[in-house]
Amino acid sequence: MHVHELNPKKTLVAVIIFVLIIIIGFLTLKKPRFTYKLSPEQTLQLLHDEEALFHPYKLVEVLNKKNNNVVLIDIRDRFTYGQGHIPGAENISAYDLTDMKNIEHLKELQDANMTVVLYGNDQLQANGPWMWFRQVGFDNVKILLGGYGYYATHKNSLALTINDTSYLKGTPKYDYAKVASNVSAAGNSQKTSSKKPVVIRRKKKAAVAAGGC
Amino acid sequence: MGPLIPNGIISGDWNFVIALLLGIAFGFILEASGFSSSRNIVGVFYGYNFVVLRVFFTAVIVAMVGFLYFDYFGWLDLDKIFILPTYLSPMIAGSVIMGFGFVLGGFCPGTSYTAIAIGKIDGLVFSIGLFLGIFIFSEIFPLFKDFYYSGYLGNVTLSDVTGIPAAWFAFAFTIIALAAFWITMLIEKRVRKNIKEYKF
Amino acid sequence: MNRNYFILTVLMLVLATGTLFLKQEPKRKQIKPEDLLYEIIQPTRYVTTDQIARIIIEKDPTLELVDVRDAKSYDQFALPNAINIPTDSLLSPNYQDYFGIPGMKVVFYSNDDILADQAWVLTRRMGINETYVMKGGLNHWIETIIQPKEPPEDAPYTAFEQYQFRKGAQMYFTGAKVDNTSQKKKKVIVKRRKKETAVAGGC
Repeated sequence: MHVHELNPKKTLVAVIIFVLIIIIGFLTLKKPRFTYKLSPEQTLQLLHDEEALFHPYKLVEVLNKKNNNVVLIDIRDRFTYGQGHIPGAENISAYDLTDMKNIEHLKELQDANMTVVLYGNDQLQANGPWMWFRQVGFDNVKILLGGYGYYATHKNSLALTINDTSYLKGTPKYDYAKVASNVSAAGNSQKTSSKKPVVIRRKKKAAVAAGGC
Repeated sequence: MGPLIPNGIISGDWNFVIALLLGIAFGFILEASGFSSSRNIVGVFYGYNFVVLRVFFTAVIVAMVGFLYFDYFGWLDLDKIFILPTYLSPMIAGSVIMGFGFVLGGFCPGTSYTAIAIGKIDGLVFSIGLFLGIFIFSEIFPLFKDFYYSGYLGNVTLSDVTGIPAAWFAFAFTIIALAAFWITMLIEKRVRKNIKEYKF
Repeated sequence: MNRNYFILTVLMLVLATGTLFLKQEPKRKQIKPEDLLYEIIQPTRYVTTDQIARIIIEKDPTLELVDVRDAKSYDQFALPNAINIPTDSLLSPNYQDYFGIPGMKVVFYSNDDILADQAWVLTRRMGINETYVMKGGLNHWIETIIQPKEPPEDAPYTAFEQYQFRKGAQMYFTGAKVDNTSQKKKKVIVKRRKKETAVAGGC
């Protein structure tokens, strides 16, 4: 008999400590405040979703109270909001978006099937917060195309903007290749792009350190 | 070392200190488990002492189950753990050779050093042979080179290959290990009845 | 038999069974939503067309321009040395090696800045560091670098300085110099992240 076989209590103590560590792990396991409800792939699809966008001409219905299901939220700071905002818009500065009371407010709106429209000075300012809200599961959040800037210049003719496409983003304003080559006096078009072979390589597991017995 | 160095909490210079501490702990456990005695170790092959099997299986199942829990708690990222690249056929050949060495010499490399630490002559001789073997292998390595690098599968795990979640492997292995503990206990009892003199 | 061993066996079995019930969520390296929002509301990710022009002219090797438009637009016109990763293929494993190269700064651009910004949000969520967005995109690039407008007379001194720079950049990018004819198709030097080499170890 070896001495260790006489004392299985030590093993028991060790295993109980192990179990305790795991119990501590379960107790300290925090439920995260936000989790991603959309996978990255779903987020990519969202970007093509016309339903997630809010066109400026639809503001007409909201402003003359025909459509009461829409809540406008101005994510610019309080000062800019004070200088001018879309009538009826609430102000939640981007910096306060995750405040407990604001998130609860947004949850209430979501439960009440209200549509939330975020806007900033331009589309870009609201783009990040809009994508973020969509990713953490607020599927009622839309983005106002053109932002406040477009609204401010077309305030009085919003209904007419249904045929306007100037607020739509993502379209080239110029024929780049042509413009870039026209400027040069000699007319030498210098195209700086070229086909390159895409080498498919697999990501390896990150090497940390080796171990052995 | 773990999350500390890649995240810049401590500098890479600490690697050796941490390695030293881990080495001391490992050697301590080996000696404390009685691995410095070749009689203890080869007992597995003769059926009178299964301490090797118990220690290693316990280590494996505790680590395996523990890692799965730690990964769940977010204390550890299993994706970042180093996985030894698999070379299938050389690994099989290597383990056969290792097994022969084990039963003939009575030590594995690590335990031979713990044997030296407590002043065992057989451990010392084993270690000298160990380095001699390493030297000879390095000299004639070009002959084995093709075989040495054959059957490369990459840094794969069983779950990668089979698609079965790691938890199922951990569960299956725990059952196997626990069953082995009880069965070997019975074998040990039977064999020991016939042994008159038994000391370490 | 020993009672202690029995307890141990049962304990270990319970623990192992417990692992089967742990939620096996698909593991992905992502930053926390709170952190993502925090970074979204910072304007630090935007770089101006002037900055990009300067970096390209200075041939800064740490710049990695990523064109997130579709392949057709990329073939027609792209910034020098830009690589093409359409937003829809952003998550494709083929392109992952382009991100996270230590020391490299990834700058997204598109026709304007929305698509690039969306690519930024996605890659940032996936935990990729050192990514930026070229504000205004190619539309603004044309307006500022390719066809710079002369500032009015009463503009501050800095505006003229900027205009001077843009005029120079325009010459650089439009190839007004004659000696550029020979290299119509420039080879794109693609830098990819090096694979970490595994430190092998044994027993």
